[in-house]
Amino acid sequence: MERLTLDGRSPASSGQHSAPPAPGVVRAGAPPAAHRPTDSAGVRDAILEAIDHKAGVRVVGRGTWLDAGRPVDDVRHVALDALTGVVDYTPGDLTLTARAGTTLAEIAAATAANGQWLALAPWGGDAGSLGATAATASAGPMSGAVGTPRDIIIGLEAVTGTGDIVRGGGRVVKNVAGFDLTRLMVGAWGTLGVLTEISVRLRALPEHDVTLALPVPGTVALIGGLLTRLRTAAVSPLGLELVSAALCRRLGIGTEPLLITRLAGNEDSVAGQREALGLLGDVGDVSGGIWNTLRVAEPSSAAVVRLSGPAGRFAETWATAQRVAATVDGGFAHATVLRSVARVVLPLDDGALPAPAVEALESITRESCIFERLPATLWPTLAPTAVTDRLSRGIRAAFDPHRLLNPGILGES
Amino acid sequence: MSSVLSTGSGAKPTRDLADQLVDIVGPRGVLRRPSELVVYRSDGLPGYSKQPRLAVFPRTRDELIAVVRLLAAAHVPFVPRGAGTGLSGGALADDVVLLGLNRLTRILSIDPIERLAVVEPGVVNVALTRAATPYGLHYAPDPSSQAACTIGGNVAENAGGPHCLKYGVTLNHVRAVTAVLPDGEIVRLGNAESEADGYDLLGAFVGSEGCFGVALDVTVRLSPNPQAIRTLLADFTSIEAAARATSDIIASGIVPAALEMMDGPTIQAVEASIYAAGYPVDAAAILLIEVDGLAAGLETDVLRVEAMCNGAGARTVRIARDDAERARLWQGRKKAFGALGRISPHLVVQDAVIPRTRLPDVLATIHEISERQRIKVCNVFHAGDGNLHPNISYDANDPDEQARVHAAMREIMAACVAAGGTITGEHGIGLDKLDYMSLIFSDESLAAMCRLREVFDPERRSNPGKVVPVHSCREWHGAPRSAWSA
Repeated sequence: MERLTLDGRSPASSGQHSAPPAPGVVRAGAPPAAHRPTDSAGVRDAILEAIDHKAGVRVVGRGTWLDAGRPVDDVRHVALDALTGVVDYTPGDLTLTARAGTTLAEIAAATAANGQWLALAPWGGDAGSLGATAATASAGPMSGAVGTPRDIIIGLEAVTGTGDIVRGGGRVVKNVAGFDLTRLMVGAWGTLGVLTEISVRLRALPEHDVTLALPVPGTVALIGGLLTRLRTAAVSPLGLELVSAALCRRLGIGTEPLLITRLAGNEDSVAGQREALGLLGDVGDVSGGIWNTLRVAEPSSAAVVRLSGPAGRFAETWATAQRVAATVDGGFAHATVLRSVARVVLPLDDGALPAPAVEALESITRESCIFERLPATLWPTLAPTAVTDRLSRGIRAAFDPHRLLNPGILGES
Repeated sequence: MSSVLSTGSGAKPTRDLADQLVDIVGPRGVLRRPSELVVYRSDGLPGYSKQPRLAVFPRTRDELIAVVRLLAAAHVPFVPRGAGTGLSGGALADDVVLLGLNRLTRILSIDPIERLAVVEPGVVNVALTRAATPYGLHYAPDPSSQAACTIGGNVAENAGGPHCLKYGVTLNHVRAVTAVLPDGEIVRLGNAESEADGYDLLGAFVGSEGCFGVALDVTVRLSPNPQAIRTLLADFTSIEAAARATSDIIASGIVPAALEMMDGPTIQAVEASIYAAGYPVDAAAILLIEVDGLAAGLETDVLRVEAMCNGAGARTVRIARDDAERARLWQGRKKAFGALGRISPHLVVQDAVIPRTRLPDVLATIHEISERQRIKVCNVFHAGDGNLHPNISYDANDPDEQARVHAAMREIMAACVAAGGTITGEHGIGLDKLDYMSLIFSDESLAAMCRLREVFDPERRSNPGKVVPVHSCREWHGAPRSAWSA
């Protein structure tokens, strides 16, 4: 399964993103009968048409993550790649509002010009859209320090499955007005509404910013000891990522596992933290570019699973991740320590996972495990549904009573 | 059990319900005489008087569940209430049952390794921090009422506080909630140990103002105490200069733990009270700025903040020399509302948020409104996140003044919304702000909120009539089905 953009090119081969065709044009090779609305009213029209035709819609941002999540039933596409642009950005407010199809790269360019950044930085790089990042609540290596999309997104507009254009939150950094539709829709995979506009909080780019690598000891007990000392050390890292030996080899940064650490702040703060980190092991400098390299390290055809567990026992979670990663040639793991989340990447062989990998995945408890991408045939056995309770089913029915939005993506039945 | 409760309204079902509640919580856990209920007519918001039909105070989790299930079987509406310190009328029970949670005060566990605490809803905010102190930890959200307000109430309101600028509001610190839904079902929302996929039900529950159910226990994150703290007091001869300093600090990328502003009238009220903190009484505005974190590099940030204040025109910048001075500076801020209470019989602590670059012009607009409406507005607020608290001192028994206060509040809210802001940053909608909801949300958005509420509470019995104005809901089908249609 290749990760393809809507125009049929893989993001890796086409660079950041190619110029989209003019709105309304249906491209050769595109999925069936795409809508390409340019505003929220156009999205609403697409939903109303879907209601009329009793036909589901597949919401597509920039088309870079279409293989993520459970398979979606055969439906019409509503592509949001013409619903783009920053609609409000006052740098002094450290907030920004953009239409859902705007790429993270476009937002990064706009904010960097003012010494600011949007700290979402999810796994997969910046070619994807803000809307898809919000809908999937995709986080990245800084999320332990700066929060996940649910923390960073402060408001949104969406078109529900009834064709209503609704808003949650706002454009200010603190807001408790009304029930929290924003939190609910972020991470809902588009099943409660097609996200059309999103407001985010920004951060100032750090004044000093260094990335260091620390060797990781070989046993669970020693890793646990290192992580415990880190929790009480005089450091406040922006990023703290465990990188397995296999991933280090893949990235060309050695053959042993590393703890990659990003320290940011003023000069004195960074110097002090560097010294404190040095008490824990031999630290070496690494290019800050490693973070973006890490974000796009996984092959386009892979199963990806996230494991999480208690912070005090995270060395055990990491060991499990490494064990699962070892079941496939080229498999690797990395972990966002400050969030106690490990990700395991298992390259597929002709679209499939070998039996030992499947057995390893089956052995992980469901509670601590979130699948990001899997071969279609494995979803029903490994993670049949994310909508397990009465409240979630009720919310889905309240916002999408005709079950038109990304049908199947949460495994709802 | 339901036979005497399932029909009609009036005195008899009330007595029968009260008796059954006594069976659950004992005679001292139920108040039913009007004279006993008078104190529950208000919460922290003046100007409203709503008397509950009766009040019930469970002492244990099992009693609480039994009470909610009894009310469910009887289809009786109820209003959950913590300490009653809320400022939006959210805990007012208008002729329905008031469900007091302030006797559920146990801290069930503190795990210093995971930095988690599990508490009952009636645990007082500051009591949790006190219990966490031996471990070098604290509970970060710190509303000004933290000496009295409860964690359950904080969860219901998604409460903030001065230090939320850096550390986030209540929602950022709640990992899981066990709740009893209005129909009596017990649900677990969120997961303290690991991450889960699916909808963010916990995110929906926190801040739902008691409309989605009642927390039985709350698992919260505890934060390590910072290695170093520095507190600065900068005074200014104009509000504009203080607002400019605020904008400069925020734009610089330094994230203070807190960045609070108080205007001249507030300073004078504080200094004339027992909470006097040594603020300069001739200042037009002061900023109380706290910078914390690792010791390394902190002094650099302190010097920069000081320089930015001076650059914006500060007359003096004072840095607290020790913990005692720091505590005194903070006491003046946290007790400012109490100090303002001496000015007039009543005080409305208002709440709105604006984009931070709009602070100078919106504060000027608020001043203009107060002059024109001839009301006294004092500003003490979280400047760093643009969270205004224009506080209006007045006499609620003077109908003319009351009318001018209401007109001014509506104008202030409209000005904040026009500036790109919102009508509440941390106090909630409750009863007080129902009318303003349509300033920021369309009928479609409000209807979506109604539908969300009905997933948790199809009968709309939990805190009825709050948060979303019912007339805005297209799918509104009349009053909640209940034994008491209040």
